[in-house]
Formats: sequence, structure tokens, C-alpha cells
Amino acid sequence: MRPILLSGHERALTQVKYNADGDIIFSVSKDHVVCAWFSHNGERLGTYHGHQGALWTVDVDPTSTLLATGGADNTMRLWEVKTGKLLKTWDFETSIKRVEFSPDGRQLLGVTEKRSGHLGSIVVYEIDPDPQAEQTSEQSLRIVCDESKATVAGFSYLAQMIIAGHEDGTVSQYDGKTGELLYNAPVHEPDMQITDLQWAPDRTYFITASKDKTAKLVVTESLEVLKSYPTDTPLNSAAITPVKDYVILGGGQAAMDVTTTSARQGKFEARFYHKVFMEEIGRVRGHFGPLNYVAVHPQGTGYCSGGEDGYVRVHHFDKPYFDFLYEVEREQANL
Amino acid sequence: MSRVAGRTDWAEDDDEDSTQLPPQQITKNKDGTETITTWAYRDDGKKVKTMRRIKKTTIKQIVNPRVAERKHWEKFGQEKGKPLGPQTDTTSVAENIAFRPVAGWKASTEDKEAEKKKALATTNTKIKCRICSGDHFTSKCPFKDTMQPEGEAAPADMPGDAPEAGALGGAGGSSYVPPHLRGRGGAGEKMGGKYERDDLATLRVTNVSEFAEEQDLRDMFSRFGHVTRVFLAKDRETGMAKGFAFVSYADRTDAQLACSKMDGYGFRHLILRVEFAKKAT
Repeated sequence: MRPILLSGHERALTQVKYNADGDIIFSVSKDHVVCAWFSHNGERLGTYHGHQGALWTVDVDPTSTLLATGGADNTMRLWEVKTGKLLKTWDFETSIKRVEFSPDGRQLLGVTEKRSGHLGSIVVYEIDPDPQAEQTSEQSLRIVCDESKATVAGFSYLAQMIIAGHEDGTVSQYDGKTGELLYNAPVHEPDMQITDLQWAPDRTYFITASKDKTAKLVVTESLEVLKSYPTDTPLNSAAITPVKDYVILGGGQAAMDVTTTSARQGKFEARFYHKVFMEEIGRVRGHFGPLNYVAVHPQGTGYCSGGEDGYVRVHHFDKPYFDFLYEVEREQANL
Repeated sequence: MSRVAGRTDWAEDDDEDSTQLPPQQITKNKDGTETITTWAYRDDGKKVKTMRRIKKTTIKQIVNPRVAERKHWEKFGQEKGKPLGPQTDTTSVAENIAFRPVAGWKASTEDKEAEKKKALATTNTKIKCRICSGDHFTSKCPFKDTMQPEGEAAPADMPGDAPEAGALGGAGGSSYVPPHLRGRGGAGEKMGGKYERDDLATLRVTNVSEFAEEQDLRDMFSRFGHVTRVFLAKDRETGMAKGFAFVSYADRTDAQLACSKMDGYGFRHLILRVEFAKKAT
């Protein structure tokens, strides 16, 4: 496996994302610029300019025509993927920590930070998939998190529910239409922030990563914890791989402590766990800082990771990755 | 005369040649490869010829029409106007990473390996016991009382050797006596410390399978009497048995019986060889 190193950013990466076909990778970092890359060879397609502050989040719609970003300049922006043109800017009182399109691309969700008297909230906008069209400034839904602020959120299948991970380690389920709180489950250790939430391909379950050094596989419908993946380092991201039943976890020592630890001790590696057996099966090293985000190719042929070191590393899996089977799996296959 | 004037000096001619670099040459080889020869000046002013042999293969990949269309999108932003293909300033290829998933992967295995390498690099000397070839000092060997160093004759076989060595070491023709042999004039002088073992009841077992465990040997040998000690030499790095072991009995008669019964006994596809351990000097 020979990773492609993308060095277009000058500061720490905050999120990387594949589009639905897996041919383009979008990356955002604290250097205010969004980059689009071809995943097969690492060629940079272009950059999106306009943000005035660090960027925290990016998401692309299912047809790869619209791109949404959010950042510390208290704006959420919509871009045309093809040309890099800024289509719409939504202004907020606080920064945007997470954006996500609904599975049909008709709704856009944003998570706002809690700061200076403003409560954290989840806002939803209706989106017109035509890049020529005028986008609405009116929120179709606004959920205020008065107990603990939301750090991550996403739409479930058919956008029926909105699932949010909170700063206090709980996961809550809201009605996708009314915004009513349906459940709140303490999934992670109390007061351990949930750092990431990524969906399985069919969105019936998802994986959460937390500062409590574990990642958990949770059912969307009931918020029941299916599997737990304990590690020895705070986690920043977790992803579910299609094709093979693995999960990829990324993390490492907190960014502020990085200079005092060596690359070896810092545990700056992508960890692969078997999704079902919850056992670690390998690690991929390479970053010089914590991994802030890991994203998996939608067809399961590779993954990329964005690190605090400012690099994106794109990996295309090779044969041993696909060949690996547990003894019981092999027996099952031979039956 | 005019011919001479028209022609430039041969020295000048040479000079001109060196400033003008030959153009890039591409030659096609028979085996389908191409050789690209380029000339360039290095920083120190020297001319360098670079020959690269490349093989071009067309890889056909069927992609979604949407993906194929996107590949021809024009670049924008900072990449605007840049040619097709990855740019060296933003994209590079990292070193190869071997990723092989294994069941029961442990972080510690990798750590230990690194540590071991480090330890080896710092000391850069391999410690090898002269008695059992283990990786400890000879003086720390558990058999220093029961065994003599490898390749040295047992004093029991040559009764006259020990005092001689103690006196002058005349056997080797050298007056030097190694420290561990000094002051071994006679058995009576030796300190009979608590570490002294009853080697009379110790068996040396060789040709042991490398997958053997100490417990296997203990089970086998305790049939003949009370076994006080079993030592199976193992490789520290691999954890595999080295192929020999020592078994001590409380009673010499038991040992004798075990020696006669177990010599030639088949254990794990190998025939054991059992003999009495020789006394160390």
C-alpha cells in the first residue's frame, strides 16, 4: 500500500470527505481553504476561497454538485463543486462545527457552537439541488440543545431522524420533521465529548468516536450500543468500511501535547478493528500528529486520513486487506 | 587561410558543445520499453546525463460516466490553469506501508520489536553463554556448575587436566589461565555454595522438539521419580525451544532408570537422546 500524500494545506486538517462516487476527496483545514482532490491519483481539482476563519467541517451532496462548509468565521457556505463558485452564505452568532446533507441532498444540517450566551443548536435548511437557483435563508428547523451542546449530528435514513452526539457523551435522537427529542442515551463515558459520528452505508447504524478512548457502534432506531472498540488513546474519528467488516479509528494525543511526545508514543496511527469481533487487526502509521478525521471510500477500496500535521494521506487498499478472513468467516465461506 | 578563419577553433567548438545541451532523446526498445535520455546541468556546473527506461502500460478502467465527466472538469481556485495530472507541490507519493490485517494483532508486538532493535543497536554485542549458548553471560548460566563450556573436554574424562590447568595451563601451551579457571586446583577447594547442584542426578536431554514445553518434559520424566528441576533452553526472541533440556532428579537411581528408559524415546517426531550431564569444571 503506497499512500498518496496531499500537502495542499498549511495548517491542521479538520475534516476530509469522499463524494458519493468516491472519485473526489474534499478536505478542510484551519487555513481557511477548502481543497478538492481526485482520489485516484491525488491531483488537486481546485480550491474554494471565501472563508475568513478556520474551517471545521465539509460535506458534499449525493450528486456532487453542491458543497457545504462551516467554520470559525460564524458562517456556513454553499459552493458549486465544479467551479468553486460561492453560492450562498448563512451567517450565525457562533461558529459552525458540523454540516451534513440529508441522504437525498434536499436538506442541509448545521451544528452551531455554544458560546457567549448563545446555546448550541442544530439548524436545518431546505436546499435546492440546482446550483443556479437562489437558496433560502429561512431555517426549516431549529433544535436548541439546552442541556449539553451538540458536537456532531447527521440525518438518519430518509432523513426521518436527526442523530446528534453531545459534549457530555450522550447521543440523542430527534424527529427529522418536528425536531422533537425522542431519545437521549448515554453512549459514552459521562462528560467525554463525542468527536465523530459516521454512518454505515444504509444509515441503520452508525459509529461514534469519543475522547473516552472508545468508539461505539450504535443502532439508529433504538440507540442501542451494538459493539464497543476500546483503544488506548483519545479518538477523533471513526469510520465504517463497506465491503469488509472493519472499522477504522483515528486519534492520538491531544494536539496541545503533541510536541512533547514522539511519533511512536503519540499513537498517531489509523487503527483497524474487526467490526464484528471487536478485535484490533492492524494499524497504519504515517502521520506526525493526531488523526483528526478518517474517511472511507464509499466503495470500500481505500481510505484517507487528515492529520494535525497538515497532511492528507490517501490509501488504496491492496490484496491482503481484502483477503483477510477470520477462521470462522473462512469456514462460513466454504460452506 | 579563409578555411581556417571560417572554422572556429577546436577548443571553442568544444566549449560551445558543452553550453548547448543535446535535446531530449526518446528511443524505443525492442521489449516495448522506452528510454528517455535527458541532459541537465547540476548545481556545481557539471553536465549530467539521465537515462530513464520506462514501460508504458494502458490500464483500462471502467468508471461511472459521472466520474469520467468529472475527470475532465477544468481546474479552479489555486489550481487554475495548471496542466493535467498531479502537481508536485501538492501531491507526492509516500513510502510504502505494508498493511496486513492479522487476527489478534497486538500493539505490544510492534513495540517490543522496536525496543529489541534499539537494544541491539546500542550494545551492538551479542551475549552468548559458552555453556548453553543462551543469551546470558557464562557466569550467569544455570548450568555453570553442572556443565562445562561447549567444546571443552570434561575434566572427569581427563583426570590430570584440572590440576594442570590450575597450575600452569600447560595443556594449551600458554601460561595464561582464564579467570574462571583460576584457583580450581582441586575439587575440595571449591566453594560448595547453595547454588551447587547435584549433577549426579541431572540428565541432559537433547534432540528435543522446538515446540516442546517444560511441562511436557516434566510429565514425561516424573514417571521415573521425583523431578526437582526441569530446564528447557529457549530462544529469547522466538520463544521456541533450542533443542536441549536438563532434568534433575532427587535420586540418582531414578535418574539412571530414566536415562535408560528415555534414551531413544520418540517425542514429537524426534528421538530423544538422554545422557547424564557432564560435570563442569
